[in-house]
Amino acid sequence: MIIIWKDKKEKVEDLLSRKSASYAVDFEVPDGITEGYITIDGKTIAYRLKITGNEKIRKGSKYDFEKKKTDLKRILQITDVKQAIIPISRFEIKLKGKTFSGSEVTEHAKVDPEMRSVSKNKMESNAVKLIEEYGGKFRIPYGLGVKLSKLKSEMPKKGFDELMETVGVELGKRAIDPYEAVGIIAAQSIGEPGTQMTMRTFHFAGVREMNVTLGLPRLIEIVDARRTPSTPSMEIHLKPKYASSQAAVMNIIKKLENTTINDVADIITDTVELSITIRPVPSDMKERLVDFSDIVVALEGESSQMSVAVNEESKELIVKPQQETFKKLYQVQEQLKTKSIKGVPGIKRAIGRVDEKSGEWLIFTQGSNLKGVLEIEEIDAYNTTTNDITEIAENLGIEAARNAIFKESLNTLQEQGLEVDMRHLMLVADMMTFTGSVRAVGRQGISGRKSSVLARAAFEITTKHLLRAGLMGEVDTLTGVAENIIVGQPITLGTGSVNLVYKGAPKKE
Amino acid sequence: MTTGISKRISSIQFALLSPDEIRSMSQVKVITADTYDDDGYPIERGLMDLHMGVIEPGLKCATCFGKVDECPGHFGHIELAMPVVHVGFIKEIKIFLEATCSSCGRIKLTLDQMEKYKHKIERFDFSLSDPENIGLVSKRITDDATRRKICPHCNAPQKTVILDKPTTFREEGIKVTPKEIRERLERIPNEDLLFFGMNSTVARPEWMVLTVLPVPPINVRPSITLETGERSEDDLTHKLVDIIRISQRLRESRDNGSPQLIIEDLWDLLQFHVTTYFDNQTAGIPPARHRSGRPLKTLVQRLKGKDGRFRSNLSGKRVNFSARTVISPEPFLSVNEVGVPEKAARELTIPVIVTQFNIESIREIVRVGPEARDEFNRYQAGANYIIRPDGRRIKVTAQNAEENSKKIDITWTVERQLMEGDIVLFNRQPSLHRMSMMAHTVRIMQGQTFRFNLAVCTPYNADFDGDEMNLHVIQKEEARAEARIIMKVQEQIMSPRFGGPIIGGIHDHITSMFLLTHKNPVFTEDETVHMLSYVEPAKLPEFHLVDGKKMFSGRDIFSSILPDGLNLKYKSKLCSGATEKCEYEDRPEDIFVTIDNGKMTTGTIDETSLGPFSGVIIDKIFRSLGPEEASKFVDRMTRLAVGFITMRGFSTGITDYDIPKMAVERIKEIGRDAEAKIDQLIKVYKDGLLESLPGRSVEETLEIEILRITGEARDGSGSVASQYLGMTNPSVIMARSGARAKMLNIAEVAGMVGQQSVRGGRINRGYTDRTLPHFKRGDIGAAARGFVISSYKSGLNPIEYFMHSIGGREGLVDIAVRTSRSGYMQRRLINAFEDLKVDDDRKVQDTIGSIVQFTYGEDGIDPTRSDSGESLDLDYVIYNLDKRGKK
Repeated sequence: MIIIWKDKKEKVEDLLSRKSASYAVDFEVPDGITEGYITIDGKTIAYRLKITGNEKIRKGSKYDFEKKKTDLKRILQITDVKQAIIPISRFEIKLKGKTFSGSEVTEHAKVDPEMRSVSKNKMESNAVKLIEEYGGKFRIPYGLGVKLSKLKSEMPKKGFDELMETVGVELGKRAIDPYEAVGIIAAQSIGEPGTQMTMRTFHFAGVREMNVTLGLPRLIEIVDARRTPSTPSMEIHLKPKYASSQAAVMNIIKKLENTTINDVADIITDTVELSITIRPVPSDMKERLVDFSDIVVALEGESSQMSVAVNEESKELIVKPQQETFKKLYQVQEQLKTKSIKGVPGIKRAIGRVDEKSGEWLIFTQGSNLKGVLEIEEIDAYNTTTNDITEIAENLGIEAARNAIFKESLNTLQEQGLEVDMRHLMLVADMMTFTGSVRAVGRQGISGRKSSVLARAAFEITTKHLLRAGLMGEVDTLTGVAENIIVGQPITLGTGSVNLVYKGAPKKE
Repeated sequence: MTTGISKRISSIQFALLSPDEIRSMSQVKVITADTYDDDGYPIERGLMDLHMGVIEPGLKCATCFGKVDECPGHFGHIELAMPVVHVGFIKEIKIFLEATCSSCGRIKLTLDQMEKYKHKIERFDFSLSDPENIGLVSKRITDDATRRKICPHCNAPQKTVILDKPTTFREEGIKVTPKEIRERLERIPNEDLLFFGMNSTVARPEWMVLTVLPVPPINVRPSITLETGERSEDDLTHKLVDIIRISQRLRESRDNGSPQLIIEDLWDLLQFHVTTYFDNQTAGIPPARHRSGRPLKTLVQRLKGKDGRFRSNLSGKRVNFSARTVISPEPFLSVNEVGVPEKAARELTIPVIVTQFNIESIREIVRVGPEARDEFNRYQAGANYIIRPDGRRIKVTAQNAEENSKKIDITWTVERQLMEGDIVLFNRQPSLHRMSMMAHTVRIMQGQTFRFNLAVCTPYNADFDGDEMNLHVIQKEEARAEARIIMKVQEQIMSPRFGGPIIGGIHDHITSMFLLTHKNPVFTEDETVHMLSYVEPAKLPEFHLVDGKKMFSGRDIFSSILPDGLNLKYKSKLCSGATEKCEYEDRPEDIFVTIDNGKMTTGTIDETSLGPFSGVIIDKIFRSLGPEEASKFVDRMTRLAVGFITMRGFSTGITDYDIPKMAVERIKEIGRDAEAKIDQLIKVYKDGLLESLPGRSVEETLEIEILRITGEARDGSGSVASQYLGMTNPSVIMARSGARAKMLNIAEVAGMVGQQSVRGGRINRGYTDRTLPHFKRGDIGAAARGFVISSYKSGLNPIEYFMHSIGGREGLVDIAVRTSRSGYMQRRLINAFEDLKVDDDRKVQDTIGSIVQFTYGEDGIDPTRSDSGESLDLDYVIYNLDKRGKK
C-alpha cells in the first residue's frame, strides 16, 4: 500500500535536509505502508519517500504533544526522501492523506521519465552501468550506451577514455537549446512533407491481398484521432508453437473470420409456406472455410425462436418460425441474415502470410477487434497490434496508445519515403495523450482546449469563444504565442523568453 | 534613455457590458438615423456625430479634440425603445429560463443539491480554468434543474420553455417577450449564477437582453467617398440606421397607443435588425442585404474566418519596408547573399540613430542625396528621410541634401537606403517550414529581379518559372542581431526535419562535379586555371607531368575547394548497390569516396556527396568546421561547378535516346509479348479458370496479374534500352549522378511508356463498358485499358495519347486536392503545438506548465544537430579519432 498526501514545500525541504525524520500527520495511516508520495501542487507527485515506522500517537508516548496539536494522529518514520516528478493524471488528490492500492501508483511510478521507451529490466546491464558511470558528467542516450558498452570491451582503456571524452563534447553540442520552440518545429516537420505525399488511399502494403489507407489521408486520420480508421486492420502474431504450421494458422483464421449465414448461403423466404430455406453456396463456403455442419451448429442455439429441419441430401436447411405469422417470419429472416456462424465480431476477413524476415506466419485482418482477438488462446498478445488507436487506448491504456500513434505515424511517413525525425512524432504522440485520453489535433481536441481565449478565437469558431469568455469572465494571461502576437508583444519562446538588458558601460566617476 | 520593451500587458479580462457601463462609456446618445447634412457636415446626435471620432482631415474630434490620426474614436449609444435579446447568448438565455423558477427566480435545485453542486463547481477558478470543463459541470447541474417541474423554493409550477429559432421563446405556445425575459433574468440572485458557469463579478444574466446598444466609433465604420463625390456608408452604419429608425417608430407607436399587433410587428423587426447587426448569418433568418443585393458584413462576419479581424489583421499584418518581385538565379552570389534591384534598394530604408561615432558617415549619406551614384556611376546609398528628435520627418531631396546633411545632429534619426552588407529577410510562400524565411546580406544589382545562389532553391522550394519572393528590411538592432545569428542561410543549412543538410548543389552542380571526378579525368593547366578562376580564393592543386605537360586531375581540382582537416569515407550514390566492385567504376576502391585531410583520393562525387537532403560532405563540414565553412564550401562548389560545366559543355537532346534498330524491335516484341500474355490471361478468366488470390475476387486477381505483366514489360524494355545507353550519354549521366530524372524516365523515352493508371488501377472509365468508342463493349484488353507500348521518342498513337492524358490529369487533380488538405493539416498542427517549449532542464512544457515530455525526444538531442536522427554517429567519431591518432 502506498499513501499520497499534500504538504507545503518548505516542510518537505526541511525533511529533505534531514534525510531521516519523524513526521507527524493529521490523518489516519493504515499499517503496512512502506512508501509515501508527497504532492505540492496537487498535479504532480514531487517527492517519493520511504516509510519505515508508523506509530499511533498515544497519550504519554514520546510523541505526545499534549495541547494544541491534538489533531495529529500518526507519526511516520521517514528515512529516504527523493525528488520524483510524476504527473497525477488518473486520480485526484485530496488535501489530506489518501491511500491507494499499490498497483495504482506503481503504474504511474513505472513510467520512469528517464527511460520510458525501454523498460528497465529489458535493458542491457552493461549499457546501464556505463550510462550510470558517466551520469555525473553527461547524459548518454540508451541506444548509444549499448553501442558504447560493446566498444568498451573491444577497445583499450586509453582509447576508450579518449573516445568518451569526444562523445561527451559532441553530445553537449547536440543538446536541444532551452526555450526552443520544439512544437512549431515538429508541426512544420510533419506538415511540410505533407505536400509531397500521395493522396492515393489504397495501396498494397506488404500484403497484396489487403487494402490499407496510407499516405496523407492516413496521417490526417491519425492526427484527427478518429474513432475508427477508414480501413481498420490488425496484424496478428501467433504463439511460437502455432506460428510455423500452416494448418494451425488456417484453423485460427477460421476462428477469426466473422462469417454470417448471408456470406455463405442464399436465404430464400417462402411467404406461402411461411418458411425460410438456407441454400449454402459451395464456392463461398470454400472461400470462407465453412462447411455445412457449421451452419447447423450455429443454428442449434436458436431453437427457441425457430425450428430447423436439415435436409442432408440437398444440403439445405429449412427454417420455420415457432409461431406461424408473417411478422415472426420476417424477424427470423433478419435474424438469420446477420447470424454469425463463427469468428470474432468486426473481423471481416483474415489472411495468413509468412513473414519474410522471421519466417513465421502472421495473420492480417480486415476489420479490427483487439479485445476479441486477444481473447483467443493461440494469439501472441504481446505483438498483436491494430491500426485503430482508440481501440488500443481503451484496451491497453494510454501509454500503449501513445506508442501506437508514434509507430503508425512513423510507418506512414517512412512508407512514403519521407525522412522525418522521430522526435517530432514523439512530441505529437505525447501531446495528443499526455492528459490521459487521446485528444485530436484540432478544434475538438488540443486547440479547442487552449487556455487562452484569444488563441482559441484566432483558430476556429471565433465568436463562440469570445462570447463565452465574456459570460465567464475569463482572463487571458497572454502566455502563449498566438495571443501575444495578437496584442503585439514578443512571444514567450526562443529569444523572447529571456530578458537581457544592457545597462551600458559603468560610468567613470 | 531606455529603449526596447518597457511594459508588457500581463493579462486581459473578458466581461459583459452592463447597460450602465454602455451609457457611461458613451460620449453621445445617438437619436437621429441621419449621417451628414446637405453640406456634408456630420449631424449632431446622428450616427456620424463628431463625439465619436473623426475620419475627415481638417475636422477635430468633439470628445478628445484630436485630429484624424490622433483620435482613437469613442463609443456612442442608442437607447432601444424596447428590449431585444442578444443572438450570441440565445442558448444561455434558454438555459437560464429553463433552469430557474419563473416566479421567484431561484435555480430549481433543493438546498441539499445546491450544497453538493457548489463544491463541484467551486473547484474551478472561472477566470483561468478550462471553460470546456466548467461547461460540462454546469451542464449537468442545469439539466438537473431543468427537469424539475415545481420550484423547490416557492412551489410554483413550471412551464416548459421552447426556443423558436432563432430568437423567439415560447411557453406553452405563448410568446415570452424579451421584456418578460429580462424581468425573469433580473430575479435570479447572484449566488445562483455560479451554477450556470457565469461569473457574477463580471456578468449578469439580464445583460444578455439589450436595452441599450453601444454604437462603435466612426473609425470602426468609416464612410468612403467615391470618385463621383458620393458618400458610401459602411455596412455597420447602414445597420445602425435601420435600428434607430425602427426603434424610433416603435417608441412612437407605443407612446401613442397603437394596436398591440403593430407594436409586436415593429418589435420583431427591431429584433431582426439587432440580430443581423450582430450576426448576419444567423440560421433561420434571411441575411440583411445591401441595396446592391450583397449581404451585409456585420460584426460577427468582421471577426470570423480567414479574412476576419483575427486571422487577417491580428495574427498576421501588412508591413512596410518590404519588397516583392520575380526571382532569378545568380551563381556568382554566395548562398548568404541576395541580389536586390536598385529600384527596390532606393525605396527600402533602415533607420540609423545619429551618434557621436557615426555622425560623419551619416552626414555623407545624407549629403549625397536620394539618387546617389559614385564616380563609376554605381549605386550608392543615400537617405530618404531625416527625423528630428521631436518626431518631425523631413524628406531628403537632391536640392536640400547638402543643407540637411549639415542640420543633422546626435539623437536625430536618418532613414538611409539599403546598402551592400545590410541584413534582410527573404521569404517565399507558402512558408511551410522555418527555412522558408532566411536572412541574407544584400548585394545591390542591376536589373529588376531578386537574385540568389541556386543552392538555396531547395529550402525555399523555388524555381524560376515566374516565382516571386518577398524581402523584408529589418528595422531594429535586436532583430538584426537575431537574424544574423540564427536566421542567416548558413545557420539554416541543417534541416530540423531530418538532421541533414537541406542546402546543396542541384542539377548542373551535381552533373558537373560528377564529370569532374568520375574516373578522375585530367586537365591541362589552361583548363584548370580557367575553371578555378571561378572560385575564390583559388589555389592550384598539385600537378602531374604527362608527356612533359603539366596535368591536373579532376579529383585534385575538387580537393582544392575542400577545407583542410576533413576526413571522410562513404559509398557514393553511383555505387550504392555495389558490395565488391562497382560496375560503373574501373577500380574497386572507387566504390567509396575517400577524403583524407581535405584531399579526395577515390570515388565519384554525386548526389550523395553534395545534394540537398543527402550531402554527406556538406553535412560533415557543417558539423566539424561550422556553418561559416559549410557555406563557403557550397559557394566554392557551385562556382567551380558552373566554371567546369560551362567550359566542358553539357547538353542533352532527342538523339541521346537513339538506340539500334534491333533494340527497338526487341522492345516492340516485349510489348507484343505483354499484350499476348494479357490476352491469354483474359481468356483464362473468361473461361472461368482463373484461380483467385486468397481474399480477392477473380476480377481483382486478374487486374493484379495484368498490372504485374505491364510493369514487367516496362522494366524489361527499360533494361533493353539502357544496355545501349552508357555512361557517356548525358541523360544517363544525369540520372546516375542523381542530378535530374531517374532511369525510369529514360526508359519511358527510349523504351516504353507503360501502363497508365487511375487510382492505382488500369483505366476503366468512360463509356458504358468501354473506355473509348474505338473498342468493343467489354474489351478489357491491354490497349483498351491504357497500356502504352510506344515510347515518348517514337510517339504515342491517338489512343495512347488519350490514355496518357487521363493518367496525367489524375496527377494534377491529386496535387490540387493534396495541397489544400495538407495545408489545413499543417495549420491545425501548428495551432496545437505552437506553445510548446523546452525549459531549462530540457523538459517540454506547454503554456500552463503541463509537462508534455520529461526529456525532449527522450534523449534531449536537437534533431537539427543529430546525425540523421541518431544522437551520435559513433562510427564517424571513431573514424575521425583514428585519423587524428595516426598523425
